[in-house]
Amino acid sequence: MTGGTADLEAFRAEVRDWCRHHVPAGWRAAQTGVSDEGYVAFQQAWFAELGAAGYAVPHWPAEWGGGMSGAQQVVLYQELAAQDAPRLVLAFVAIHHAAATLLAAGTEEQRRRHLPAILAGEVWVQGFSEPEAGSDLAALRTSARRDGDRFVVNGQKLWASGAAFADWCLLLARTDPEAPKRKGISYFLMDMRSPGVEVRPVRNSLGESHFCEIFLNDVMIPGSGLVGEVNAGWQVAQATLSAERGMTMLELAERLGNAGFKWLLETCARRQPGGYRPMDDPTVLDRLARLETEMAGLRGLCRSLVERHEAGTAGPADASIVKLYYSELLQRTMDLGVEVAGLDAHRVMEKPPSSGWESGAWVLDFIGSWEWTIPGGTSEIQRSIIGERGLGLPREPAAS
Amino acid sequence: MTSDRAGGFDFAAAHDELRAVARSLLGPCSPMLAGGEAIAPDRRALADAGWFGLEVPETLGGAGATFAETAVVLEELGRVTAAGDAPATLGIGVGALAALAPTADRDRVLAGVATGALAVAVAVPAADQAVGPVAPLFTAVERGGRLWVDGQADFVLDAGRADAILLVVGGPGATPGGLIVARGTPGLTVEEQPVLDPSRRLARVVAHGVAAGGPLLSFAGDPAVAVGRLLDRAATAVACDSLGLAAAALDATVAYAGQRHQFGRPIGSFQAVKHACADMLVEITVSRELLRAAADAVVSGGDPVAVSRAKSYVTSMAVRVAGQAVQLHGGIGYTWERGLHVHLKRAALNRSLFGAPAAHRRRLAGRYTS
Repeated sequence: MTGGTADLEAFRAEVRDWCRHHVPAGWRAAQTGVSDEGYVAFQQAWFAELGAAGYAVPHWPAEWGGGMSGAQQVVLYQELAAQDAPRLVLAFVAIHHAAATLLAAGTEEQRRRHLPAILAGEVWVQGFSEPEAGSDLAALRTSARRDGDRFVVNGQKLWASGAAFADWCLLLARTDPEAPKRKGISYFLMDMRSPGVEVRPVRNSLGESHFCEIFLNDVMIPGSGLVGEVNAGWQVAQATLSAERGMTMLELAERLGNAGFKWLLETCARRQPGGYRPMDDPTVLDRLARLETEMAGLRGLCRSLVERHEAGTAGPADASIVKLYYSELLQRTMDLGVEVAGLDAHRVMEKPPSSGWESGAWVLDFIGSWEWTIPGGTSEIQRSIIGERGLGLPREPAAS
Repeated sequence: MTSDRAGGFDFAAAHDELRAVARSLLGPCSPMLAGGEAIAPDRRALADAGWFGLEVPETLGGAGATFAETAVVLEELGRVTAAGDAPATLGIGVGALAALAPTADRDRVLAGVATGALAVAVAVPAADQAVGPVAPLFTAVERGGRLWVDGQADFVLDAGRADAILLVVGGPGATPGGLIVARGTPGLTVEEQPVLDPSRRLARVVAHGVAAGGPLLSFAGDPAVAVGRLLDRAATAVACDSLGLAAAALDATVAYAGQRHQFGRPIGSFQAVKHACADMLVEITVSRELLRAAADAVVSGGDPVAVSRAKSYVTSMAVRVAGQAVQLHGGIGYTWERGLHVHLKRAALNRSLFGAPAAHRRRLAGRYTS
């Protein structure tokens, strides 16, 4: 593990130099209003560039093509954010959720089949939520019936971001309808090209259609697609959800703390009609200083989580604390951005999908920030987890 | 203990051990009360545990540790809302004496502090003027071949029970220096300033023609920078105290919410209560990260940005958390006996000491427009 300050600074210089030569000039303008095909091609090309440099999956174990220390990852993400590199949006589920699941609970065969393929561009989607199973995810009804050495899947998944572009799906389905709800769920890897899989886009608050419904009609999954034991899928999902959280958050926190705050300062320094600059107002300065402080706290949280994850000492609520704090801080940041950007910001109708959560298109970013406080466990669910698992407070009595 | 960070010394383990020792020494009660009155931990026991000498050089009988270790002890003292001078002596007094260039006088006083024989208060600005470039409150003039010191500091922690007071002396155009004045020195008056927080004592220190025995003690390095760092250290110390008392208030609230029943269930099973507790834990966890960075800045003499972030966030957080603790305890939380008012009052005082949150945020914001 490289950890010395001098080594890290050398690495920082290396990444910075790499970015100067590889971040596509003018990508924001070129990717604004782009077609689906144009977006996917851009994301795939950028992922391949990062992969060639060894920057695509720094959090993976070295044997699979990663192996960077937490400190190196922080530097990498700081520099990518500072050099305004595009974010990996299309590959996000694959390199984080899918990889964490395979590494924690997959068989050697599953890892060999998929981890190199992910590095080569295999796209994944998460098929967890359903129309009647949102916050109460364990109430999911999609069924997987054993048929010889295969499973036959029927049901409907919802809020599957990027399903239209996905090759594979992380699927939770009920294998024992008689068991208590958390004990009858299994975890599958499902080929999205299987007969019986139908994807329909759902238009979101921004008018985009990147998150989807997935209809599953007698879809066959071979036994080799099962992850972990039959009926142990809930435990697999819980373990991997918290394991990957810290890694995803490290990047997002550096983005918010670097690029996000920089956009905000620039917006505050811009003259409004009448010559006034938001920055001339001491209440605006005070709010900026609050956000800067909270972002420093968030970045500390993420680095600590990665350290504890590496040391195997992460607490049961650590991931929820980071997710809750990041998502609400993102929202507070966007809220100030919208306010100080003024009426002009409301005329910005499009932003490049590769920019991630902070693009300087404040109203779009603000509306989009609800895509953080709702999925992956709403803020309300996170608070219950923190209260129960982090503090040991009594559970809510079950509804009769 | 060593202060050599590159030496492969396991600081996390050493801090855990120090924390465990502190917790057994101070006990589990928070606040420390007897008959409803705040009590101080046994000063002799703290001295025997080596706390007053933590940062004193080994040649003067101390442990040669750094503020990073002191921060652990300060948090534990905050946890029990300790009365007595230990929080200020460890947080400010030792730091001020250590910031002075070594002389026989300074070394004698520092060695006395290390054994617990001497208590030294430090007369510096304690309100918003403590943030940023600091103007000392005392001035010296030469008259008849001697230095005479005048000035006034309105809020000096524990001055009323100190054996000596370190006056930080400066004035326009003058290089700041220090003068250690024994209690009872002619021209020095110390007047108690009673405050609502029952665990704290503050006093007004007035110097009116106090004669210096010789030249002022000089601060090591650039004196103006050293005084600024001392105030940053004081702000960080107070934030450590706030973190400890907030964590104690949350612990008490979680314990109570698990045991108090209403509507046939423990109140902690209601989302309104549970989610409030979760928010307290989140803010405390964030505070811990900000303080870690601030303590590093104090140790390394680095960028004070981390100090202002920590002071503004952590001391505000503690007021919210202590207030929520009172609220979630209901009627019992508002009683004198239960003692949560001590956390709330101490948190409010900490928030104002050494720069209110808004003052520290002004310092942060100064970087945006420059």
